[in-house]
Amino acid sequence: MNPEMPIESYLTTLRLHLGPLTLAEREEIVREIAAHVRDSAEESGASVESVLARLGPAEELAAQYRDGLLIRQASRSFSPLVLLRATLRLATKGISGIVVFSCGVFGYSMGGGLVLTALLKPIFPANTGVWFNDEQLVSSGVLFPAPAPPAHEILGMWYIPLALTAGSLLLLLTTFAIRRSLRVSQRLQSLL
Amino acid sequence: MAKVRALPAEDDQPDRWEAQLRKGALEMAALASLWQGRLYGLEIIRYLEDRSRLVLSEGTIYPILNRLKAEGLLASEWVESVAGHPRKYYSLTVAGRRRLRLMAEAWTSFSSGLSRLLEPVLEKQEKLQ
Repeated sequence: MNPEMPIESYLTTLRLHLGPLTLAEREEIVREIAAHVRDSAEESGASVESVLARLGPAEELAAQYRDGLLIRQASRSFSPLVLLRATLRLATKGISGIVVFSCGVFGYSMGGGLVLTALLKPIFPANTGVWFNDEQLVSSGVLFPAPAPPAHEILGMWYIPLALTAGSLLLLLTTFAIRRSLRVSQRLQSLL
Repeated sequence: MAKVRALPAEDDQPDRWEAQLRKGALEMAALASLWQGRLYGLEIIRYLEDRSRLVLSEGTIYPILNRLKAEGLLASEWVESVAGHPRKYYSLTVAGRRRLRLMAEAWTSFSSGLSRLLEPVLEKQEKLQ
């Protein structure tokens, strides 16, 4: 058997799974790993197979590079989709990842929900708002039917700026909280 | 945001805990191996193997070097070798040297504090044996 065969198939698998990286980065990684295998085999006299075994499966090696890239990109991103995707990846790695992911989903849905109700207020003015009954909160949001008297809506059109502000703040807070935890997780490799 | 470190069940898996501890220290160790000058991947692995038993799988070091370079802590260059193929050498950038010094200070004070805390635990074990 051709001794180059196992290394060629290893590098092909590696290249294949490095998909999201740029072509230049991908080729540089493959070149570096190829040099490692050659040097390591020559230096120790070990077989190429055993050197490859010490490197670990090509898919796993590629996944470590991809995770690094995903989290690096996300920690600079403002897109909820990119951020949630990165935290979802973290969530598969341990309990702190799951906590970050759940908080992210909660923050985005609450924030997005508040903004949505603010937009719905002009369309359903009687059904959107915050209802009180004798200083006690009855309900809030967009409700069909609206709570019956004696519960009464207290904010009127003030609901719009208030819900918009609260919703946007929550979205921003969630974004920065996720970015912060991603940066921390980069330092704490234990999460990855 | 609440941070839960570990489930109680994980405390019963010292091997996994130790693996995570080693993995967490690997970034600092990789930076430290370059303090005296540039090295290529395999040299870094051998250096760490000789001085500490940190490296679990040789594959783990390369993605870490890649990330440290993306963060601007390391620089790299391809250098022709007598072996007939070029090797990718890594060296610390100014930011890398600064970061490593901060890490070393934090680590030293953390580990000496923890060692003091663990002294009675190990003493007790000696008496038992």
